[in-house]
Amino acid sequence: MSKSIIELVDGLSTNNMTVSMLRSLDFVIPGQWNNLVGFENTIRTVTGEIDESIIQQVGERAIYLYNDRSQGYQRAMWLYQTVDSTDKALGAAALANKVGEKIPLLGFLNKVTPKADKAQTIDLTLKLVVELLAFCQINGIPGDSIGDFVNSLADYSGESLMRMVALVCVDGLIPFGPDFIQKALATLDKTSPQELEKNSTFQNINSDIPGSNSASKLNFIGESFNSVTGWMNDLVVSRGLTPQKVVSNLQGFIEVADDKLDYLAAFLDVSTNYYEHTGTQTLARRLIERAVAEI
Amino acid sequence: MFFRQGRKILVALMLSLLLFTTACTATKTPGRFDQAQQVSNQQKSGQAVAKEATQGSEFNRFFPAASGEFQRVYTQEKKGFAEAKLKKDGKDLAMLSISDTKSLPTAAAKFKTSTKQINGYPAVEVGTTQTAVLVGDRYQVKVLSRDPSFTASDREAWLKKFNLNGLSKLQ
Repeated sequence: MSKSIIELVDGLSTNNMTVSMLRSLDFVIPGQWNNLVGFENTIRTVTGEIDESIIQQVGERAIYLYNDRSQGYQRAMWLYQTVDSTDKALGAAALANKVGEKIPLLGFLNKVTPKADKAQTIDLTLKLVVELLAFCQINGIPGDSIGDFVNSLADYSGESLMRMVALVCVDGLIPFGPDFIQKALATLDKTSPQELEKNSTFQNINSDIPGSNSASKLNFIGESFNSVTGWMNDLVVSRGLTPQKVVSNLQGFIEVADDKLDYLAAFLDVSTNYYEHTGTQTLARRLIERAVAEI
Repeated sequence: MFFRQGRKILVALMLSLLLFTTACTATKTPGRFDQAQQVSNQQKSGQAVAKEATQGSEFNRFFPAASGEFQRVYTQEKKGFAEAKLKKDGKDLAMLSISDTKSLPTAAAKFKTSTKQINGYPAVEVGTTQTAVLVGDRYQVKVLSRDPSFTASDREAWLKKFNLNGLSKLQ
């Protein structure tokens, strides 16, 4: 049986690799993200309510909304989890005792394999498509409304904004370098529907992507990515983001050499689940906002 | 002899361990939301929103318009529910919402004891951050503060800016 929304929000970590990584990206959007965990705590923080009977009603309504599959919340959660759950060989267990100490990347070089540009590009663009699809499932806008999604990006804040910042930094700048947008667009251009079909993440979320076949789905992925390039570029330019700047901030918890950025990208990919972590926070927030308004 | 005693000790140890572990399980207090989780989880779909609930897109036109330094950003639009954020200078001030109480009759029931009216509709204060009116015995319109500077009187003023009469004719 899948986990309840209470278990998912209560189970969010306060101190693991994902949280360390997101904290070290605070320099991009200072003070915007705080690691909100715990179902009841999230109700109190989001609503600002102190009345216990209201908190009880909000929690119960949120549970009913989440458990009602027709409302799309479970689908959104599944998307956030699935896009993040590729090979996690170095996951929580192997790194559990490393939190709090600085991890030398050198020790993991033989355990991670940098991805080829195509696989890396598909990863990056699929994460973006999942953001768009989950946004629509959570907020209720029709599933292929790219324009609505792009407009709402301007209003992204908190954990949603942090997720996008991490996408740009960890899945864009680190593996591809400063011109990651152009590189990803060019690689996507050279990717065939057959190559897309071989990607395991695509195989998992395939049925959720609009389009009648792999070619039209590839097209949708390209359009989605293209539509947010302006937003991503603005973020990079306005914050002066470079791979070096990102890496120097990550140095707080991981020791990296500048010529090993492809290994760093592969290491972060298998040791963190920032999409699932912040996605759970976004979903809980929206669910609670709806519940408190409806009771 | 020693062997026997050792066995006794071992049995005693095992028994106390058993007692200890069962005591641990027994004392786990049930969470305040466990019952709701259990009841709602018995159905797969349709337990939260009524079939006949009005689509959220129908509600958008009754929201107050953005004006002056206030911005209105629509955030959610689901069956039986629509919500927008009220912002000023980039800061969230309040949430504005319309919901169909067909899905949640208890939400409408609280207005039965209402002693106050806004534009002729029964109104209640909910908790410490919300003010609500019930329109046409069915649609709940709420303003929820998201900043301490946004007071109960601000909530009332913004409730009056909704097209409540128009909404009452929707059903």
